[in-house]
Amino acid sequence: MAEDSIYSELKKEGMSRRGFLKFCGLVAGAMSFTMLPPIEGLTDVRGVQSPVKHGTIEMIAKALQTKQRLPVIWMEFQDCAGCSEALTRSQSPTLVDLVLNKITVEYHETLTAAAGFQTEEAKLAAMQKYAGQYILVVEGSVSDLNDGIYCTIGGKSSMELLREAAAGAAAIVATGNCAAFGGLPRAKPNPTGALGVYEVIKDKPVVNIPGCPAIPEVFTGVLAQFLVFGTLPELDALHRPKNFYGTAIHDRCLRRPFYDAGKFALSFDDEGAKKGYCLYKLGCKGPTTYNSCATLKWSGGLSFPIQSGHPCLGCSEPNFWDGGGFYQGQSAPISKPTGTVAAAAVAAGVAIAAGVGMANVAQKKAAHSADKEEEE
Amino acid sequence: MNWTAVLEFARGPFFKVALLVFIAGMAYRIARIIMLGWTKDRVPPRGSKVEGAAISFLKGILIWPFIPWVKDTFKRNPIIYIAGGLFHLGLFVVLILGTAHMLVWKSLLGFGWATLPLPIVDWLAAVAIVAMIVLFIHRLTNPVMRLISGWPEWLNLLFVFLPMVTGYMMTHHLFFRYEVLYSLHMLSVNIMLIWIPISRISHFVFYFFSKAIHGADFGKRSVSP
Repeated sequence: MAEDSIYSELKKEGMSRRGFLKFCGLVAGAMSFTMLPPIEGLTDVRGVQSPVKHGTIEMIAKALQTKQRLPVIWMEFQDCAGCSEALTRSQSPTLVDLVLNKITVEYHETLTAAAGFQTEEAKLAAMQKYAGQYILVVEGSVSDLNDGIYCTIGGKSSMELLREAAAGAAAIVATGNCAAFGGLPRAKPNPTGALGVYEVIKDKPVVNIPGCPAIPEVFTGVLAQFLVFGTLPELDALHRPKNFYGTAIHDRCLRRPFYDAGKFALSFDDEGAKKGYCLYKLGCKGPTTYNSCATLKWSGGLSFPIQSGHPCLGCSEPNFWDGGGFYQGQSAPISKPTGTVAAAAVAAGVAIAAGVGMANVAQKKAAHSADKEEEE
Repeated sequence: MNWTAVLEFARGPFFKVALLVFIAGMAYRIARIIMLGWTKDRVPPRGSKVEGAAISFLKGILIWPFIPWVKDTFKRNPIIYIAGGLFHLGLFVVLILGTAHMLVWKSLLGFGWATLPLPIVDWLAAVAIVAMIVLFIHRLTNPVMRLISGWPEWLNLLFVFLPMVTGYMMTHHLFFRYEVLYSLHMLSVNIMLIWIPISRISHFVFYFFSKAIHGADFGKRSVSP
């Protein structure tokens, strides 16, 4: 762990002042900050007092000039490493560089070169050295069923490992739907009793970055904010950063005008699909899904599922695997009675009606005969 | 608790239970009505009862709605006739020819059909909502309507009004987040489904019974008991 500031490290690697300020702008963009109040006493490169529009970048520049690297411990539990994969193959190499190099990843089960006890020891050492300072990144859900035997690393259950690592963390970032809400492992019948991190850890700030995988730029944005300001973004009810999960996909969707005009693709290769009509009828979950796909997009802003013709699966929402069929219109019910159950309901209704009817007839007859007896 | 969970509950188990209550309740009601039986003919009928019922249906569905002004009921109370008619028209178009609703039928029945473009359905939905408000004001201000309205009638209005308004707001993304409105829509729909069998909204089935009985009475051309 270097004791140098991030800027001096970058300078050593040959980054110019100009390049550095560009990088700061990138970081500001990553945090999706567009405007911050001007900071007093800050001057720009020419020594001129900073005007308002440069406030953000200069603030970041100052932070990166003074702050040291941020230690990160990355734990993987019931996951596919897809979030790590997405991050390492992100189209914004500078941002990944920020996370993997400038923010020191002390432990990462997939990326680490060492193996076995040495890695575990290195992790424990890092946890001790940076107690109370490191960011714990969790990828994958934790399993609680049957003492957590379904997911163990080095003989310890995922639950145990999570609690152990969370104890000394400054904050926890749950990346991907699995770590945030349980994801695929939690799909019915949830054989491992999978849980999201924020359902287990209550005494530490947990930031959820759901998605399948999480958008790399969102992940780096959150970490960049913690690195620069030492703060976490404002979160919604599901612990998601509001700056990235504040609006529904539907509200920023490029196909939204077709929804409003009532023009829908009815199959994946009909005329509507070719014309780029709305995919709502093909099961798009855009209206109830909150994420940045429609704005940040994927692969360096190239495209995102809806743009390339596939309905949104809702992968940044809890229980998206069980939230109705992926290709079934969103209005369709999630669970419905089967034909047999419906028939049984009809039979029950008719049987009760017959019972009540016969009871009424019997009652009337009894009353009738009683009347007759009285008459006699 | 969050709205995603509420939505999941309203679209999932709650909907399932509400639909089963609706099915069993309507089966009960229909069976009870059928068990009441037909009144016996004390005199042999001169005309055909089946023919009378058929004519009654055809007139009621194909003729009267298009020339309502020849009917006395229309002359006496055009508001209720027009508002009631538009309300039912809007409701049926939205429920059957609206895309989102067709997808519900498709998931329940296993087959779907072509639907109308959203703007048309949307206007009819608005018409139905306005008609419902007119009917509400009419019920509130007309002394006779006040007299024959008990709490079930007011609840009828409420339970039908809520799904319509939440559905409309949802389509237009008004005021609240989509999943909030969707949850409220589904919750109110489920409540309505449970309410229908025990209320007079069940007239959507019994209308056909009474139409048939009246028609048969007209058609048999003999003394009624």
